[in-house]
Amino acid sequence: MTFRWRQRILDELAQAWAVAVKDVRVYYLKAPMIMFGLLLPFFLFFSFSVRRQIGAEVGLTRLLALTTFFTASSAGPVIIPLERRSGTYDRLLAAPMSLATLLLGKTLVGAFFALATSIAPLLVGVLVMRVVVANAGLLLVGVVLASLAFSAFGLLFGSIPTRSVGSIMMPSTLVRWPLLFISGIFIPLAEMAPWTRALAYLSPLTYAQDLMNHAVLGTGDLNPWLDLALLPVVLLVFLVLAARMHHRSLVLGAG
Amino acid sequence: MEHAIEVNNLTKVYGRPGSGVLAVDHVGFEVRRGEIFGFLGPNGAGKTTTQRMLTTLLEPTEGRITIFGHDLARNAYPVKRQMGLVPEESNVYAELSAWDNLMFTAQLYRVPRRERAARAQELLETFGLWEKRDVKVENFSKGMRRRLSIAMAIIHRPALLFLDEPTPGLDAQSGRAIRDLIRQMNAEGTTVFLTTHQIEEANQLCGRVAIINHGRIAAIDTPERLKAAFRRVQSVEVALEPDGGAHGEPLAALPRATTSVKMGDKWRLYTEDPSALLSQVMAYANSRKLRVVSLSTLGPSLEDVFLEITGQQVGTVHHETPDDKPKRRMRGGGQ
Repeated sequence: MTFRWRQRILDELAQAWAVAVKDVRVYYLKAPMIMFGLLLPFFLFFSFSVRRQIGAEVGLTRLLALTTFFTASSAGPVIIPLERRSGTYDRLLAAPMSLATLLLGKTLVGAFFALATSIAPLLVGVLVMRVVVANAGLLLVGVVLASLAFSAFGLLFGSIPTRSVGSIMMPSTLVRWPLLFISGIFIPLAEMAPWTRALAYLSPLTYAQDLMNHAVLGTGDLNPWLDLALLPVVLLVFLVLAARMHHRSLVLGAG
Repeated sequence: MEHAIEVNNLTKVYGRPGSGVLAVDHVGFEVRRGEIFGFLGPNGAGKTTTQRMLTTLLEPTEGRITIFGHDLARNAYPVKRQMGLVPEESNVYAELSAWDNLMFTAQLYRVPRRERAARAQELLETFGLWEKRDVKVENFSKGMRRRLSIAMAIIHRPALLFLDEPTPGLDAQSGRAIRDLIRQMNAEGTTVFLTTHQIEEANQLCGRVAIINHGRIAAIDTPERLKAAFRRVQSVEVALEPDGGAHGEPLAALPRATTSVKMGDKWRLYTEDPSALLSQVMAYANSRKLRVVSLSTLGPSLEDVFLEITGQQVGTVHHETPDDKPKRRMRGGGQ
């Protein structure tokens, strides 16, 4: 690799990092981020778990899957339309960095948010509820991979060319909520009817939940290596789709 | 001489080809290195669409853009490194301080770490924002945001600066400071592409201007040559007493006047023959025993040229009176 290309890659990584850090500072305390990213997963968890007899370990896996999924996938649909509205997204698009770098930066924002949010239930689970995590390394890798993949999933919605957060939340909710109910979070895969299980295999959340099960409970319905292999693939597929949608916006002049 | 910008056959259709809206229609022009190039046009003429294509924010439907010898469609990266963009809307991060906005932009443009702070301080001092460097931008006035937006666009010392309506809405002092800065940057070698509605601003700043109308370049030349090509919009400006505002109709009816427009306490009479019209105005004043407070002849302004080219000819708006009788071509009012 020539020096020029090595320098270019280092520059692009630094730019992605700068975008992520800036977004953390600017958007983490915005009301939609707190509502959709921070409070919603906990509301959901308590709504579906409180009156059911589940162990602390199972509760922890659910909460981790919910926070990584909802928190990470909230960043793109909130931040990008806000930036389009203020005109700052044009600043990023016109900057000397590739679209992939911009999307990587945006993916990191959602992932950081999800990682930070996941720490609270993890600490409560381990320190207060005395949950013993079966495989801490697998848990760390799982949470990181799931956060990145679901953040990229959120970018798909953020790539819809609109300046209104509300216009994105509608399709985002329509897609995310059904995924929640077919992904083995509230009903384990083994207890699902064959046709719902077939649907569950189409949802990336299924593999994240299964990975959490392996990491915390020491057991799961699928091979953990399959979960580990699929989440990066999902991340890449979502990034490519988001890039294509961005390119389409540049062609249409929308957003 | 290599051009900073070369545009050939540039076309943009919004929507589907065939049924979409044609915003820019096979436009071609060059911007020379080191010049201030004005891009004028009425609303919806295609100015912003063209500028967005030049700054990679919009993909052309057809045509080719070359900037500093690089084909923008194939190799935008080196162009983006040399380009600064000040959009019409001051796109600053309101939640960050002025200092943090500049630091972030410096990181994006890979300004060397050891130079960032010095460059940011230099710009904040130049724009009179140094004392407010740690204040969140949400507390800034419109003029301060505008100045910060320009500072962010030039922190990497771009060789080519795009400015979209840089001064509207600003107080006179801020507007003047920004125009001075544009001149200074241009004197230091920066090529400036100025999109504006402010005809007088273009007249003062630009070496050449292009006028775009209905998506096509209608004229492109130096302001003075454009004015010279439109001698028919010369004018005579006269202030009469008493009842200065009441003479619009009779003045417009003078044989050599084509149009009259009220300009404050004066009347501007458009003509192709100012010397003949001067005599007629004097004769009119003498015959009615009016005092001529001021009388002067004016060449066509760039605004007149702009209005002519874009089909909004001076004097096409009828002058309204209480009885609303149709009058000779007149514009303005306030009587």
